Amino acid sequence: MNPIEEKIREEAKRLLDEKKVDVVIGYETGTLPLQTAPCFITSSDEIDRLVWNPCCKQNLAIYVHSALSQHRESQKRVKPEDKTDKVVAVVARGCTSRSLVIHLQEKQYNREDVVIIGIPCQGYIDKNKLEAGVDGLEVIAGSIDGDAVKVETSKGKTELSLIEVTADNCLECRFCNPVIHDFMAGEAIPAYESDDEFAVVDDFAALPEAERWAYFSAEMNKCMRCYACRNICPSCYCKVCFVDQSQPEWVGAGVNPSDNQVFQIMRMFHMAGRCVDCGSCVEVCAEGVDLRKFLKKLDKDDLDLYGHRAGAELDKEAPLSTFRENDEEAFIFEPE
Amino acid sequence: MTTETKTEKWEPRIVALVCNWCTYAGADLAGISRLQYPPNVSLIRLPCSGRINPFYVVKALQHGVDGVLVSGCHPGECHYISGNLAARRKFAFLQNFLNYIGIEKDRAIFTWVSASEGEKFARVITEVTEKVRALGPATKLIKELDCV
Ligand code: SF4
Ligand code: SF4
Ligand code: FES
Repeated sequence: MNPIEEKIREEAKRLLDEKKVDVVIGYETGTLPLQTAPCFITSSDEIDRLVWNPCCKQNLAIYVHSALSQHRESQKRVKPEDKTDKVVAVVARGCTSRSLVIHLQEKQYNREDVVIIGIPCQGYIDKNKLEAGVDGLEVIAGSIDGDAVKVETSKGKTELSLIEVTADNCLECRFCNPVIHDFMAGEAIPAYESDDEFAVVDDFAALPEAERWAYFSAEMNKCMRCYACRNICPSCYCKVCFVDQSQPEWVGAGVNPSDNQVFQIMRMFHMAGRCVDCGSCVEVCAEGVDLRKFLKKLDKDDLDLYGHRAGAELDKEAPLSTFRENDEEAFIFEPE
Repeated sequence: MTTETKTEKWEPRIVALVCNWCTYAGADLAGISRLQYPPNVSLIRLPCSGRINPFYVVKALQHGVDGVLVSGCHPGECHYISGNLAARRKFAFLQNFLNYIGIEKDRAIFTWVSASEGEKFARVITEVTEKVRALGPATKLIKELDCV
């Protein structure tokens, strides 16, 4: 058990025993090797399920949102004297804490409804990189030993270096430590030194238009519209998503490639100033759609045009929640 | 709408999403003043440029129009004070994003035309029509029903 894991369990136990929270949302070992799953701990007998390691991938903020909003919904028809409060504790790395900031800014719940167990995070294992590292073979067993990832496949055992299989978004992350927390389960660590966070965007933008479109449409053709990316995204919490609406029917229900493109354009557009680059959508996509290349563009515009980073500061307004009189308008067309 | 358009007779089809208080009134003025401009644009009147969901632009392109024009009141002149300032940010993101994925910049054009600018309205329509004509018929993002 690593020291961070130990501290998470201690804090979870204290919070549950002192009845400070109703549930602790964290990670537990998954059913497949080198995988973890989100878990919901409601009694201190179960705290040993909680783990922390580089296989903890998902952004857990979405579960905080659904736990609290479901509770609020359940309280609607309860007599005033019988109403209860719900407080949720969550294991939060940098990106998770930024998503919580977005929820707080968007008035989804109150700060006192959530207890943040902050974790200094050095990144997680990217499923696509791991797959490439073992030539696409199925991983039968695996473990992490310091900086090495030991994997076993049908072809035998190999060892990969952890940094090689760490996700791109983690290697470029500037928020290795949570931006808000109530408790830190470890010392703050320095961020990775990445020279150019937006190289992926600049490289793509430098391609000719036709190639960009070819790439975009080929990627979107892979999409089977399972909506897993939307379901996992902490910023996609609308009660009724536009893709599920039928009046008007924004996105057709068939298998038309154009509807895939429109779905992704609009989902991504809704991420303008709200995507924390947690990579959860990329991680859950079974078809390996390169979503990050496009999401990162919105991130870059957010920073270049409005000097904002999604969820970085609690008291800094999101770009589309505000405006300035002198906002950039070079793109506005003026006839000669 | 899109398949048989590659002939010589092809004319660009443009949808303009305009604000009721300025651009629509500007279009009226252009009409009253008997100004000539190309007949390629269909106007859709909305209460304010702030009411224009960026999705309208994407849907118009999906339905096969060759270009979309969005126009509202000049900054500082919005009937609802700041609708156009909020809109300006949305459209900055939208135009950049659409271009980034490979859709030509001139397929979605944003501008301001006030109620007294009938003459500007006519010029905007003329120039936008020429820009879109130069691009040729739209080919991207279009929903081709026969491939279902
Ligand atoms: S998770 Fe992947 S396949 Fe599923 S809807 Fe999202 S992009 Fe498409
Ligand atoms: S769009 Fe993807 S990377 Fe961005 S916040 Fe949502 S799940 Fe995370
Ligand atoms: S009323 Fe014209 S832009 Fe708001």
